[in-house]
Amino acid sequence: MFMVCWWALPAFVKSFTRISFTEFQAPAWVVSTQLDRLEDFWGRRSHSKIELINAGKELARQKSYYQALAQRHQVLEAEIDRLGSILRLPNKREYSHEIARVIRRDLSAWWQQLIINKGRNYNIPKGAAVIYAGGVVGRVAEVRAYTSSVELVSSPNFRMAASFENDNRPVVYQGSAQTGLGAPHGEIRDAPQDLIANSQEPLKLLSTELGGTFPSGLVIGTVRWLEPGSSGIFQAGEVHLDKRLLSLKEVSVLIPINPEKYDYNAD
Amino acid sequence: MLIDSRCFILFGANIVLLYLTQLVNSSLSAWSLHLMIIGPIIILPALYLRFRDGLLCCLLTGLWVDAALPVPYGLFTGGSIMTCSILYTLRHRFHAEHNYHPIVLSHVINLAALILVSCTLSYGQLGSYAYWAQVLVTALLSHFCLLFIGPWFFNLERLLFNLMHVDTDPVDLPIH
Repeated sequence: MFMVCWWALPAFVKSFTRISFTEFQAPAWVVSTQLDRLEDFWGRRSHSKIELINAGKELARQKSYYQALAQRHQVLEAEIDRLGSILRLPNKREYSHEIARVIRRDLSAWWQQLIINKGRNYNIPKGAAVIYAGGVVGRVAEVRAYTSSVELVSSPNFRMAASFENDNRPVVYQGSAQTGLGAPHGEIRDAPQDLIANSQEPLKLLSTELGGTFPSGLVIGTVRWLEPGSSGIFQAGEVHLDKRLLSLKEVSVLIPINPEKYDYNAD
Repeated sequence: MLIDSRCFILFGANIVLLYLTQLVNSSLSAWSLHLMIIGPIIILPALYLRFRDGLLCCLLTGLWVDAALPVPYGLFTGGSIMTCSILYTLRHRFHAEHNYHPIVLSHVINLAALILVSCTLSYGQLGSYAYWAQVLVTALLSHFCLLFIGPWFFNLERLLFNLMHVDTDPVDLPIH
């Protein structure tokens, strides 16, 4: 009886109840994040002044190092723009970075997602790329008022175009079922026959711009072996992802600056 | 009273359990481990309340779970209502005032929920060894934790009845 009623229920009623319940739950998770931060704060307050002074010195060193890198980056960007205008290359895709805190991690055999503390209030678009210091995290799957869910790169539902380092030929990357207690992993298909990978010299898998979502050159993972795929023409293999993916605390959402130019549902 | 106030007390307790489970899951993710503790949330609404009130509690809880997890909307709502209906018809066989039967039932229902989710959200990986290995790890860990969580949760629900000064006994059993 319930199944018949549920099936007959208009879609907007289901959508309304789902959104209502989800938005109702969101504040509890935001509060838990704030409590975490408070705990961090009080944890840091217990450090001695000497430790804080040393940490400050180290930060100052790191800051000056990154300032020098930023200057170098600006010079190189200007050089790339100049060469691009000479060669009349198409404009590069530009993104703004929105740093978001991970408020919940749901990683299981059935779903692999993160919930971040920014949503429509920060103009996070659905389908946007999410990255961290180690490379690709995933893609924004759902955007809510104050939170968003991110589908992880290890999810079986996640698929993207990729290429190996120093090799422009595209391959297909897809997440796969995770084994408990192990590092996350995915798989690649359609790798060219001439590529050879081994555990001593693993191949680094990088993102490409082909899918339209990710900028090129972001690390996805490493491939330690390749074997003939089901077609026999191409190779397939397992991709080892960074274990830090399982304990992320902060990520960066890449918001396209000119979204109308690109189709983000392309991949 | 139009609706038994215990319906909302049990719904509140269910929310607490689900929230705590998700907090633990968030922390366990670093080890690729996951807990699925769904079984206990249906037991006392079905065994303590009238059919209509138990159904309402299970409906609200199901909607809450469906909204919290990336599952097809209605999966847990339908599942919990169906389970509540079946439990209600069989409830004269169980002693809800002690923990033994509720714990056994919560294990059975939790296993059924695991199988339901595994078959619904397999993404075509039913033949994958890795997939079933992780489902097995999740099932073993969840049922091990349920041995401790189950009694605590049922006692908490009864304690809440006491604290809220509501009836602490199940409503009349259905006439068969």
